[in-house]
Amino acid sequence: MSTEVQKSHGVETVTLKSLHTENPRWCVGCGDFGVVMAIKRFMVDRQLTAAQTVNVSGIGCSGRAPNYINTYGVHSIHGRPITVALGLALARPDLNVFIESGDGDALSIGGNHLIHGINKNFNCVFLLFDNELYALTKSQTSPTTRKGHKTNTQPTGTYLDPLNPILLVLGIGPSFVATTADWMPDHFVNTLQAAFDHNGFSFVHVTQRCPHFDEENFDHKITSWFSFLKHPKGIAPDKRIADKAEVVEHDPTDLQSAFKLAANPRRHFGLFYINPDKPRYDEILQNQVKNTLQKPRTKLLDYFLL
Amino acid sequence: MVPEQKKISRFELLMDAGFGAQKAGDILIRAFAKTGKYVYIEPMFPAEISPPPRTRPSMSGVIIRLADFDITNVGNNTDLMIAQHEIVLGRRLDDEEENPHCQILLDMEDQRDNPTTYEQLIKRVKDLGLNIIPFELDDASKMLIRGLGGSGKNMFYIGMLTHIYNTNPQVVIDEIKLTFGKKLPQDVFDRNIKIFENGYKFANEHVPLCYEVTGKLKNTERVLIDGNSSLSMGIIDAGIKLYAGYPITPASSIMHTLAKIFPAYGGMVHQAEDEIGAIGTAIGSYFGGVPAITCTSGPGLSLKQEFIGYAAVAEVPVIIVDVQRSGPSTGMPTKTEQSDLPAVIFGSHGDYTKIVISVANVIDCFYAPHVARYLAEKLRLPVFIMSEFQTANSYKVIDKPKVTEMNKVEEIQDFVLERFHIQRLPDNIEMVRTNQAIPGTLGGTRRVTGLNTDQSGSVNYFSKASQRAHAVRNEKIHVVRRALTKPEMFGEQEGEVLVAGWGSSRGVIEEAISLCQVDGLKAGGIHFKIVYPLPLMLKEIFSKFKRIVTVEVAYGDEMKPSPLAMLLRAETLFDVRPILSKATGRPLTPRGIMAKVKEIIGK
Repeated sequence: MSTEVQKSHGVETVTLKSLHTENPRWCVGCGDFGVVMAIKRFMVDRQLTAAQTVNVSGIGCSGRAPNYINTYGVHSIHGRPITVALGLALARPDLNVFIESGDGDALSIGGNHLIHGINKNFNCVFLLFDNELYALTKSQTSPTTRKGHKTNTQPTGTYLDPLNPILLVLGIGPSFVATTADWMPDHFVNTLQAAFDHNGFSFVHVTQRCPHFDEENFDHKITSWFSFLKHPKGIAPDKRIADKAEVVEHDPTDLQSAFKLAANPRRHFGLFYINPDKPRYDEILQNQVKNTLQKPRTKLLDYFLL
Repeated sequence: MVPEQKKISRFELLMDAGFGAQKAGDILIRAFAKTGKYVYIEPMFPAEISPPPRTRPSMSGVIIRLADFDITNVGNNTDLMIAQHEIVLGRRLDDEEENPHCQILLDMEDQRDNPTTYEQLIKRVKDLGLNIIPFELDDASKMLIRGLGGSGKNMFYIGMLTHIYNTNPQVVIDEIKLTFGKKLPQDVFDRNIKIFENGYKFANEHVPLCYEVTGKLKNTERVLIDGNSSLSMGIIDAGIKLYAGYPITPASSIMHTLAKIFPAYGGMVHQAEDEIGAIGTAIGSYFGGVPAITCTSGPGLSLKQEFIGYAAVAEVPVIIVDVQRSGPSTGMPTKTEQSDLPAVIFGSHGDYTKIVISVANVIDCFYAPHVARYLAEKLRLPVFIMSEFQTANSYKVIDKPKVTEMNKVEEIQDFVLERFHIQRLPDNIEMVRTNQAIPGTLGGTRRVTGLNTDQSGSVNYFSKASQRAHAVRNEKIHVVRRALTKPEMFGEQEGEVLVAGWGSSRGVIEEAISLCQVDGLKAGGIHFKIVYPLPLMLKEIFSKFKRIVTVEVAYGDEMKPSPLAMLLRAETLFDVRPILSKATGRPLTPRGIMAKVKEIIGK
């Protein structure tokens, strides 16, 4: 342990096999398999060195993701992965930081950190696995559970309308907001490309199936309930299903248009918003050190001399 | 008038918040220190920014103790008080810290509008048998103060105290210059000096008190420093590179100090969105191999507890400073207490392992981060540094401590470890997980989790893996138990009573025991800097005394032992009882301890 960190030299070849750790303990048909596979495919495509990559998660089904990707990883506590990731981003700007969080983790117990992570705009890729309920604790209502859906805590049907995560995030003043789904591998990998290349806090909303507790939600066999966003500056619609789904033109630098689309009850996949100029908190703190004349500690206590 | 010689004296200046009592205290102690005296100052201020003047919550004051020998605490009973008006004086008399010969100088300016309350207070002072010296500023000074928009009264009081404590006025004027010289326009500054001179002259002509505390000028470099500043400097000297915190009294001033200077020493200050975020970021940094610290006080400590247990299980080092204030809940943010001990030892859920270090004085504050970092990284555990409001805010003049410029923890110097009564730890301490690589290390890909794991780091819910993980974590604490040397002891090594304490009570115990010895009482004292775990030879030490008692700034009574007493009972099975366990928000006093020791020996 020291402030001098041994740097790796990127000599390893990254393959799906090298990124494998163990068979995930998720249910059959769980959307999380798709998410982890997309992350691995992206890492292979870009040959991201495993030793330079850290997956940070909270608690819930999403929280297990770092265990199943052979990089460095912090499976932290419920709702707080953003805080840990910020520590890494501040202390180790050389690392690739991915955060895996869920709708309960990020929007309920950890809502405060999401607000400030987005506002601080520190460099990371943030994945919100949104299966619209608490799953690992066995089917409770989450902030995004649809009204009327029966859960163990609201057995007559969820009482309230769900919180709209895209609208919420757009309201915080983000620098990158994209949406994708667990069953569209190409779109997912393209989304990760754009998110990774963006300089700042890249918020990626993942529509994620949970057939074990909610098999009706998110019918991936039909395309009538969603649209793709399309733009030269955006993320291309998924090539396998683009011809079957509606495609909407949207300039991702147009915040007003992003708000309108987010408020629309129809689901949209693609790049909602990007602002490459938003200042980064991590960079500001790091530059403070870089731009301050460094002093030796020998005269540290001289500030207090009589 | 020939000054009365005194080896030691304690006085108080009591004003309304916002009228410069704290500044006056700073100026006076610097001047006293420059004339070779030993000084200790305890500021008292409200938790609010500026409560309405002439109310009890508005009191802002300083207690200054000066002596011709090194003093370790703010001491006993006050010899002299200057009060701006009857309300702050009445408020302070409630604390019962004046001695029977205390001289009370009461400013009578407010009497015209408040004759009844003044009359009542003067009667109360006389009933206490104290000598009251009413006074009022001369007309010229009043005019000057009116011209300054009401400020400057503190200058008059500084002038009076400069004369009363027979100090060269020029030395004080130089300090006033250092404090205000650049900030005030020349004419405003000159008027302040004039008020000071009037105060000095006034005391010379009208106050029949003059004391001389001899000072010896020394050639060593000396610093005037408070606990939180000292801790901030210690953080830098210990090679810590990231500070994460959330504003909370009384820990905030550490963040303020570091925010100004940390970048020049390669450090970053992160003001987090909340207490939980602060410790999470410290843990993230330390997982990345960069030493980090988070500082907080009571309520913030409660919020951090889940992450503290996580750090122990994930084997990520982290250092947590708790500057204790009066609790429970919001309690009294600007009053001192030592009652967070159970919260750090038992706070996080499950059997989580931790080390708890406490600081007794400003020098400890400087070196505690070194020890905390050494233990946190060697053991990969959370380490607490327990400070207290009083230690954090009290200033003292000390010989400039030696900086050690620590980079790697193995560089920690022996004198630093000895100061905390611990030996160097062995190298081969077993971890729950074999792989402890830092990100960036090829082939390391270490993944940590709060779930139970086996040696390989895989999640494992089976009985043997769980039992093993507990045993390995607890063995880390046993390693420390074995490395702890005999705690510091005062006075007798065997006898009637052994007085135990921790943290800030070191100074008062030392002084109380020396007073006991003068009186021929068979009493000893013991003080713990590392409070958890405790050293293995405790039973042997305790067995040499008839009674083991504690003195703590925490609540305890006949049926409920205070925190340290409870811990010592559990660890030793000795019938340890608190003799002083007060949650008044005021520090312990040597005479208070001595009186209790006498009482129980007499029984």
